[in-house]
Amino acid sequence: MIPRPTTDQLIADVCQDLLDAVLPALTDETLQVRVAMAETILRNAALRAAHEIAWMTDETSALIEYAKAVNARIRSVDLTAALAEFDGSPRLSLHLADVVETYERASRAFAAALAAAQRDGIAELVDAARELLHDRVSTEKVVMATYAVVGR
Amino acid sequence: MIERLERFLAEVEPGRGARVVSYQPISGGYSRISARASIRWADGREETLILRGDPPAGSGVFVSDRDAEWELLGALPNLNSVETAPTRWYDSSGDYLGAKCIVMDSVDATSLQAVLADADDIGPLSDLFVDTFAAIHGSPLDPLPERMTRPSDWTSYLDGVLATYDQVAESHPSVAPVLRYVTSWAAGHRPPPVPLALVHGDCQPSNVLVSEAQPPIVIDWEFAHIGDPREDMGYYNQIPLLPNVYWSDSERFLARYRAATGMTEDQINPDVIDYFLIIGMATLYAQLVDAADAVAENQHPGILASYLINAISHQHDMFLSICDRQN
Repeated sequence: MIPRPTTDQLIADVCQDLLDAVLPALTDETLQVRVAMAETILRNAALRAAHEIAWMTDETSALIEYAKAVNARIRSVDLTAALAEFDGSPRLSLHLADVVETYERASRAFAAALAAAQRDGIAELVDAARELLHDRVSTEKVVMATYAVVGR
Repeated sequence: MIERLERFLAEVEPGRGARVVSYQPISGGYSRISARASIRWADGREETLILRGDPPAGSGVFVSDRDAEWELLGALPNLNSVETAPTRWYDSSGDYLGAKCIVMDSVDATSLQAVLADADDIGPLSDLFVDTFAAIHGSPLDPLPERMTRPSDWTSYLDGVLATYDQVAESHPSVAPVLRYVTSWAAGHRPPPVPLALVHGDCQPSNVLVSEAQPPIVIDWEFAHIGDPREDMGYYNQIPLLPNVYWSDSERFLARYRAATGMTEDQINPDVIDYFLIIGMATLYAQLVDAADAVAENQHPGILASYLINAISHQHDMFLSICDRQN
């Protein structure tokens, strides 16, 4: 494999070309909007490509730690089942599809844990979940950092 | 497309000899395919028409029912509360225009958003915007088409909206954590009820056309429904186009709306507006997530689906902030 340029660098290079060479040459307004949207998607994809496996792996650990902590305090059939499903995930693999699968199973377990904490009204567990959700949304905001409304 | 439109006009206006002089797609809409067409009839008269059609099947992000919109557009003039662009014809099968398509008169007016962008004093325009939607919310419901769902009461309506989020969470694990948290919060923080009303569903100045000669004209009714009127106000709170007249002077905005609708300060205030941002976004949020899922399933719904994944993240950020502020 040729590791450099990295995937995010390759995508960023294409973005530059779209902005410098393609967009100025377009006269059709609807096509200009589509290219502007494509450039935004690619810029976001470059950011994701550089970090998404690390982001999802780190968050998966935090989500499961929370889910297990809740499971130790609250009886929830859904949570126990979700944790069992997580245990069957391909979590040792770093291939993107496997990381996503593992992350989604962790998200289900976390959602079940949060529901259990809310149902039983345990404020400290709900607060802890809220902190994790803020971390998740902070990551989403990093990806959408350069988002601007196009074409309206 | 020009030939298609000429065939359609020959069908709906036989003997008038329509010729399409120009046909120009309109950019800016995120939902339907719109175009402006200049027509010259055989008698020499010319006019400009707006075509509003469905995107090709399986493409696009936002889903709505053109038959329902056409029926509603026919009923709205009977309400005597809002002006709409005069409708002319409907290709209800898509046989002529390639997709179900509503044809309307082009009105000589400007988007209120564009007028706001150039205005030195946006206060009077804010009042105009508020009054326009307050009038919609005061509309009688009886003349509306029978196909529009009439919720039995406010509580069951709100339960239904929250259930929409629960259904999204059930089928999309990656967004489930945020949605579970937010819907649980929303279920426990219900504001005082108000009478259900006609809700436009895409309340923003871009959908109000203004001119010196006529009252404001409200367009894009595809997401209209009977619901809580504050959904429109909450929805507008997340529209990022500047100037946003609610963000610019929320006190003026709210006072005007209260005066026009008779709602109390308990019923409409900044916290309630925030609350109804969550409620007012339910349908579109669900469609955004479905569209992202379609990309993940290699269904190729079009570039807008990928582009608007950022909008999902933006909603998550706003939803959590609202819960934090009111906890």
